[in-house]
Amino acid sequence: MTTALHPIPTDAAALALAAQRLRVELGPARSRRRVLDGVDVAIRAGRWTSIVGPNGAGKSTLLRALAGLVPAQGNVSLLGRPLVQWPHRQRARTLAWLAQGGAVDAGADDLTVYDVAMLGRLPHRGWLAPPSPADHAAVEAALRQTQAWEWRERAFGTLSGGERQRVLLARLLAVQAPVLLMDEPLANLDPPHQADWVALVRALVAQGNTVVSVLHDLTIALQADELLIVAAGAVRYHGMCAARQTQQALEAVFEHRVRVVGSDVGLVVVPDVSSTPPGSLSSGTTSWNPS
Amino acid sequence: MKPSVWSLRLASAPAPLTSPTAARCWPLAAALVLAAAVLGTLGLGVGSTGIEPVWAMLADPIAAQIVWDIRAPRTLGAWAAGALLGLAGAVAQGLFRNPLADPFLLGSAAGASLTVALALAALGVSPFAATWIVRLGLTGAAFVGAVAAVLLTLALARGVQHTLRLLLAGVVVGMVLGALTSLVTLLVPDVLQAMQAFLLGSTGFVGWSACAIMMAVGTVCIGAAWALARVLDGLTLGEATAQSLGLPLAPLRLALVAVIALATGTAVAQTGLIAFVGLAAPHLVRSLVKVTHGWLVALASLMGGLLLMAADLLARGLVAPQEIPVGVLTAVLGGGYLLWLMHRRAG
Amino acid sequence: MRRMGWPVWALALGLVGWLGAAWAQPITVTDDRGRTVVMPAAPQRVVSILPSLTETVCELQQCHRLVGVDRYSNWPAAIQALPRVGGGIDPNVEAIVALRPDVVLAAVSSRGSERLEALGLKVVALEPKTHADMRRVMGTVARVLGLPAEDAERLWRHIDAAVSAAAQSLPPNVRRTKVYFEVNRAPYAAGASSFIGETLARLGAQNIVPAELGPFPKLNPEFVVRANPDVIMVGARNAPGMTERPGWERIRAVRERRVCVFANDDADTIIRPGPRLGEGARLLADCLRKHVQP
Repeated sequence: MTTALHPIPTDAAALALAAQRLRVELGPARSRRRVLDGVDVAIRAGRWTSIVGPNGAGKSTLLRALAGLVPAQGNVSLLGRPLVQWPHRQRARTLAWLAQGGAVDAGADDLTVYDVAMLGRLPHRGWLAPPSPADHAAVEAALRQTQAWEWRERAFGTLSGGERQRVLLARLLAVQAPVLLMDEPLANLDPPHQADWVALVRALVAQGNTVVSVLHDLTIALQADELLIVAAGAVRYHGMCAARQTQQALEAVFEHRVRVVGSDVGLVVVPDVSSTPPGSLSSGTTSWNPS
Repeated sequence: MKPSVWSLRLASAPAPLTSPTAARCWPLAAALVLAAAVLGTLGLGVGSTGIEPVWAMLADPIAAQIVWDIRAPRTLGAWAAGALLGLAGAVAQGLFRNPLADPFLLGSAAGASLTVALALAALGVSPFAATWIVRLGLTGAAFVGAVAAVLLTLALARGVQHTLRLLLAGVVVGMVLGALTSLVTLLVPDVLQAMQAFLLGSTGFVGWSACAIMMAVGTVCIGAAWALARVLDGLTLGEATAQSLGLPLAPLRLALVAVIALATGTAVAQTGLIAFVGLAAPHLVRSLVKVTHGWLVALASLMGGLLLMAADLLARGLVAPQEIPVGVLTAVLGGGYLLWLMHRRAG
Repeated sequence: MRRMGWPVWALALGLVGWLGAAWAQPITVTDDRGRTVVMPAAPQRVVSILPSLTETVCELQQCHRLVGVDRYSNWPAAIQALPRVGGGIDPNVEAIVALRPDVVLAAVSSRGSERLEALGLKVVALEPKTHADMRRVMGTVARVLGLPAEDAERLWRHIDAAVSAAAQSLPPNVRRTKVYFEVNRAPYAAGASSFIGETLARLGAQNIVPAELGPFPKLNPEFVVRANPDVIMVGARNAPGMTERPGWERIRAVRERRVCVFANDDADTIIRPGPRLGEGARLLADCLRKHVQP
C-alpha cells in the first residue's frame, strides 16, 4: 500500500521537513476523529513537492501539522531540528504558511493591499519598530511578483477573489522564508495566473527554496518535482513526478477515475468520462441507462 | 519562452521615506484633536446656568467654581471616557474579528450593573455601616464588577484560545449577571431608580480626580494596545496565519483582553453604561481611512472622545436647565449612524 | 433708676450676646450615613432634594430658607416658584452649586452627595423609613436649621395627635378589617414593617402582608387572592387594570367594590414619610371608614 520509490535519505540536513509517526485527532472531545494516523513524511530541501489526494484525505491537516499549527503527536522537525525547539519568530522566518480559502472572514477588508502584504514582514520586524527599508523592499518585490503593485493602495475588501489570492501570495512571499507551505494556492486564479504561479515556484526552487503545495488540480500538481499522495489519513505514495509509477499510483488512488495523458505541454490529468463506472457519485441508486 | 504575466525581476526602487499610512493619518489625528479642543472650549459655556458664569468668572468665585470645577472636568471627563470606550471598541473588534463587537462584549456591563446594584442595596440596608462597599463607593464597585465579570468570562472559556468560546462565555456571563441584577432590584426595590440612572450613563459626577484616573488608565491602555497592535493585525488573516507568523497568541490575547477590561471598567465606573461609542468610533475611523491597528486604536480613541464629548454637550445644552441622559443621545446618534451605514452598504 | 440701669443693660447685652452666640454657634450633626457635618452657623440657604425633607423644612416654618428643591417636591405651594435642581437620583450638580447653598438635604441613596461634598458643599443625608426614623429625622432637620429641639418635638406631637385622632374616628370593627395596600403595579405591596404599614397598624387595620416579608415585597398576585382582603387601597397611577387580574374577581374587596383609589396628590401624601403623615393617616382613615362594615 505505501511504497516509497526512493529510500528516505538518512542525511537529515537534506530534509527541509520531516515527520515521524504523526498523529492528529480533531474535533470536540466526544467525537474526535483521527485525521492523520501514524504518518511518516520526508520533504527534501530545494524541491517542489505536491501533496494530492481525494477529498477529506487529510492533506490540509498534514500541511498544518508540518507547520506546527495543529496539536499533533509524533515528531516534526524543520531543517533537522525538532519544530518545538524553534523559537517562534525564528520559525516564522524560516517557514511560511498560506491558508486555504483566502481570508474568508472580513477581518482584513479595511486594510490596504500594501498593509496586507506588509503583514508578511511581522516575523522580521522589531517589536515596536516601524517597517525598515528592507521590509519595504521585500513587500514591493513580493507585490510586483504577483502583479499587485499597481493597486497597492486599494482596500483589500474591494478586490475580487483572484486579486485577493494574489495579494495573499504576496504576503507569503514577503516573508522571504526558505520553506514555503501553500494550501490550495491556486484558488480563484485564472489559467494565465496559474501558469505564472508555476513559473514563480520553479524560480523559487531554483534559488534553493523548498515549496510544498497542496493542490487539487492534478495537472499542475504533476508539474512539481515530487508527488506525495495522501488518502484516508495515511501517506500512500511518495515519488518523483516524472516517473511512470507515480502516474500509475495517482490513477490508482483515484480508483482509475482519472487518466494521465501526455500532450505537447506536458502531462495532463483528466477525469475519465469515457465510461460509466459502477457506483456513481450518489451511490445506492441505479445507474441511468440512456437507451 | 512565453512572456510571463508576472515579472520575476526584483525591483530596486528606493523605499519610501514615510509610509503612505502615516501620510493619511496625521491629518485625521490633527483634525480630531482640533475638533475636541473646540468642543472642549464650548463645553465650558454649556450648562444649566448658561453662559453667564463664564463672563462672571473673574469676579465671582462661585461662577469660577462652576466653570473650572464642574464644567471643565465634566467636559474633559466625557472626552476621556469616550476615548477609553473607543479604544476598547477598536481592540474588541480586532480581537474578535467582528465588526459588531463592542467593549461590553465580555460581560463587563452586566458585572458593573450587578455590583452597583449590590452597593446601592447595601447602602440602603445599613446606612451606618462602614462596610467595604460603602468605603469603596459606587465608582469602585462598578470597576470591580466590570473586571470581575471579564475574569469570570475568561474562566468560563478556559482561556483565550478559542475566540468563539470566549464570545459565548461573554454572552452567558452577561445574561446570568443581568438576571442576578434583576433579582437584587426585586428584593430591594429602592435601588431600581438609582440603577436606571446608572444604566443610562451620565458625566454629571465627574470631577478632576476622576479625570486624572481616566487619563492615567487611558495612557496605559493606549500604550499597551499600540504595542500589541501587531497581534490584531496578524489576526485579520485568521488565527492560524497569525500563529504561522510567529505571534505568541495566547499571552498576547490575554493582555488585550486585560486592556479591554481595564479601559471599559474605568469608563463605566465614572460615567455609567454608555452605549454605541465603543461600537461606532472604530467604524467611523475606518470609513475615513484604511489603517492597520496601530493607528486604528489611537484614532478610534480620539474619535470616541470626540463623540462622547459632543453627545455630552448636546445632553447638557439641548433642554437646559434640564439634562438628557447622555446614554440616550449616544444611542440615538450611534443607532442613526449605523442605520445610515446599512443603507449605504445595501444601496 | 439710673443706678440700676447698667445691670439691666448688662443683662440685656448678655442676653443678646448669648442669643447671638447661640445663633452663631457651630452646628454639629450626624447624618444617616454616619458622617458628622459641621456648619459654622445656622444655614440660611438650604437646598433639599428629597420631598419629605422639603416638607419637613416647611412645616418647621423655615420655608423661606429654601432656595432650591428637586423636581418631585410639590408641597406646599410656597415652593412652587423655587428652581428645580434635578431629582434625588440625578441631581444637577451645577445648578445646586450655582444656588450657593449653606447646606444640602439629600437622601442617603442619592449619588451626588460625594460630588457635592468634593466641591465644598455641606450635605446632610437623611432618609426616614419608619415612624421612629421620622421622629428622629425631624429632630435632625431642626438641629441642622439651628432651631431648638422643642420645635421638632412639637411638630411630632402635632402629627402624632392627628394620627391618633384619625384612629379614634374609626369604628371598633376596623380591627377585623384586612387591608391590602398596593404601592406599584408589579405588584409591590406595603408590608406591615413599612412606613405605610405602620400607619395602617396605628389605625387598627390588619395588613395582609406580614412583617416577615419585608417592607415592600413584590407579591405573587395569587397571594392577594388567597389572603382575601376586605379593603384594597391603591394610587390612581397604578389602579387601571388591577381588578381585572385573573382570579381577582373572587376577592372580597373587589366583589363588594371596597377599593379606594387615591388621587395622585393624595397618594403622594400617604407614601411620603414626611410631616404630612397626619394628613395621610386621615386619608387612610376616610377610606377605611367608608368601607368598613359597621
